[in-house]
Amino acid sequence: MLSRVADSLYWMSRYMERTDGILRMLKINYASSQDDIQEFSWKPVLRIFTYLDEETSTAIAHQSRTVLQYMVTDKENANSVLNIITRARENARSVQDHITKELWQCLNDFYHTIRDEQLVRGLHSDDPVSILDVLIRQGLLYYGIADVTMARGEGFSFINIGKFLERGVQSADILDVKFSDRGYDVTRQDTTYWKYLLLSISGYELYLKTYRSGFEARNVVELIVLNEDFPRSVIYSINQLQRYFERLKSDRNKEAYRKIDFMIGRIRSKVKYTTVESIFQQGLHAYLNGVKEDLYEIGIAFNQHYFAYS
Amino acid sequence: MQTTDLLNSYYVDTHTWDEMYARDAIRQQYKGVVDFLQQMSIDELNKKEEFAKRMFMSQGITFTVYSSGEGIEKIFPFDIIPRIITASEWSYIESGIRQRLKALNLFLKDVYNNQFIIKDGIVPVDIVYSCPHFLREMHGFPVPHDIYVHIAGIDLIRDQDGTFYILEDNLRTPSGVSYMLENREITKRIFPDLIPRNNVRTVTEYPDILHRNLVSLSPRQTVNPTIVLLTPGIYNSAYFEHTTLARLMGVELVEGRDLVIDNHRVFMKTTAGLQQVDVIYRRVDDEFLDPLVFKPDSMLGVAGIMSAYRKGNVAIVNAVGNGVADDKAIYAYVPAMIRYYLNEEPILKNVPTYQLGNLEEREYVLANIERMVVKKTNGSGGYGMLMGNSATDEEIASYKAEILKDPRQYIGQPIISLSSAPCYMHGRLKPRRVDLRPFALCGPDGIQIVPGGLTRVALREGSLVVNSSQGGGSKDTWVLI
Repeated sequence: MLSRVADSLYWMSRYMERTDGILRMLKINYASSQDDIQEFSWKPVLRIFTYLDEETSTAIAHQSRTVLQYMVTDKENANSVLNIITRARENARSVQDHITKELWQCLNDFYHTIRDEQLVRGLHSDDPVSILDVLIRQGLLYYGIADVTMARGEGFSFINIGKFLERGVQSADILDVKFSDRGYDVTRQDTTYWKYLLLSISGYELYLKTYRSGFEARNVVELIVLNEDFPRSVIYSINQLQRYFERLKSDRNKEAYRKIDFMIGRIRSKVKYTTVESIFQQGLHAYLNGVKEDLYEIGIAFNQHYFAYS
Repeated sequence: MQTTDLLNSYYVDTHTWDEMYARDAIRQQYKGVVDFLQQMSIDELNKKEEFAKRMFMSQGITFTVYSSGEGIEKIFPFDIIPRIITASEWSYIESGIRQRLKALNLFLKDVYNNQFIIKDGIVPVDIVYSCPHFLREMHGFPVPHDIYVHIAGIDLIRDQDGTFYILEDNLRTPSGVSYMLENREITKRIFPDLIPRNNVRTVTEYPDILHRNLVSLSPRQTVNPTIVLLTPGIYNSAYFEHTTLARLMGVELVEGRDLVIDNHRVFMKTTAGLQQVDVIYRRVDDEFLDPLVFKPDSMLGVAGIMSAYRKGNVAIVNAVGNGVADDKAIYAYVPAMIRYYLNEEPILKNVPTYQLGNLEEREYVLANIERMVVKKTNGSGGYGMLMGNSATDEEIASYKAEILKDPRQYIGQPIISLSSAPCYMHGRLKPRRVDLRPFALCGPDGIQIVPGGLTRVALREGSLVVNSSQGGGSKDTWVLI
């Protein structure tokens, strides 16, 4: 497979994963904003997902509609869903002969959906949840089509490598920012707060089934970092990353394979063979940061050894 | 509303050949379609037109126009009414194109080798050597199977008595074949059963024939040669076509930056290292192909590719340097080439062409400019041409001044009043001018022309310019059994 093609598939996939993450996060934060005793602040969201300076984000922190519009359809916001989808589509467009026609059409439809001006207006005047739902469903359609139609070749591996690398980073990010919002105080009991965090990454039901003792920071961290059955956990993402990476093993490019294999193995051990207690001992922020750094480094290594073409 | 109204505003003036009407009767080949349309309401037809547009959009059969930093997706306008060609018309066109291509190929081989045609005084030497697309880099180099033109998209038009004329030979990187294929797919969707009922010949073989021809050109004797389609990239307006063809043939779509030359061989950069490339179907123009030989600032090509080509380590399709044969000044000599190389009379006629480089012809054209179209010899896409009948006096004056600067760059032709075909316009059929571009493929087994082609249509009333850059659209093109 061409290096450029692998690169584009990987980024298409990362952008789609990011889109999914942002949309879910927005939906749940909006719901949360309707359920807050005090006036809800979008500040943590703006801090993780945008480049806005302190002043601007303080100014709009209490205006849900403005934030939603900024995050979904604003052309000036490099991280708006519109811009991310546009980039995913540009990547897909340049590798149309390596993805199925169905997948391309789905992404292309997503792009046309989000550019629909009625939609923009809806975010401001109608029920924003319905609009976010339309977009989230379009993303789920993408996952389904990728899974059902794509051949299990090298391309499919790069798509999944991008997807799970991005997911690992996102989960670590969301957790880190939510805790920073609470000053890393792991003893506070705050049911609503944790509930919405879990909802935003589809972990609410699993949490209820796993823990009977109510919402505790310790358990939230355990679920999101260490639970191997939770598809948005850090360890799940790393396991999948490893699984799809192993499929790239071949007689050619041996050295690069060995190098990245080592990196993935190392971070996997670091996450798998740890406990919440030892994470708290190191400090949650330091630990999550370390995980993110390692994941970024793997991304850079891919760039060097598999995607370098110019 | 039953659609008897459909035809009631269809007026054809007496100086135009209409594809559907002969005097006041509908031609046999259009009866099936007209009957079918008349059973539908205007509402249904409007819906079908809308549906066609949506399908183009959703499949991404679009080109992007960039303005103020933002891309806007556009579709090439598509008219839902097919253009129909009878079996006898087609066999005539087919034999004419075949004959013409044979001669053009021989001309290219000759002009880049012994130049008999120049020595025998059939084609003047200055016309050849002053052509910017005549590339000395190609001299004395034997191309595989002596084939220069692997893919041709020859433009045909019909004048008022229905005679077909060759308007242009596109022998470099002709485009539009993906529209031939996609337009047919759309017709299948919007008018179910209509195609089999009318006995329309299929066009779907095109990518298979092309792929077979590309495989046969591989310089390496291997079962599975590496074939690539070289595109200028996603910002090219024909990018959709490049991806479609790559997908339909199952070949790799590459950009210049994906390729590298090592020891006069072409390689592509893959995730598993370098892989040798055997055949390149390039959609990058000659000038941009190799910065070491042509434009030094080209980012679209591959440094060193010409030396790999000349060593015979890679096949390039179409051959480099074909522009000398589809130059508009050379065009006038194609009938003479056919007589010279094949000893046959040309089947398809040329439009009479005057060389403005030649004093007498220039004076004639300038004196009769209101009945002439003047074109640049190396222009395409309808840019830089003057339609004498519709230009203002100032336009003519300034164009004349341009001509006098370098007359060799211009030719004049009498304005041909292209034939018209029915188009669907807001609930009515209206005649609009059309041309026809069939696509011919030349391989070691001979010349094959897929029965069909691209019909371009001037959607503006009265307009004679069908180029998509000048507000033209396209139609599905049927060839009947």
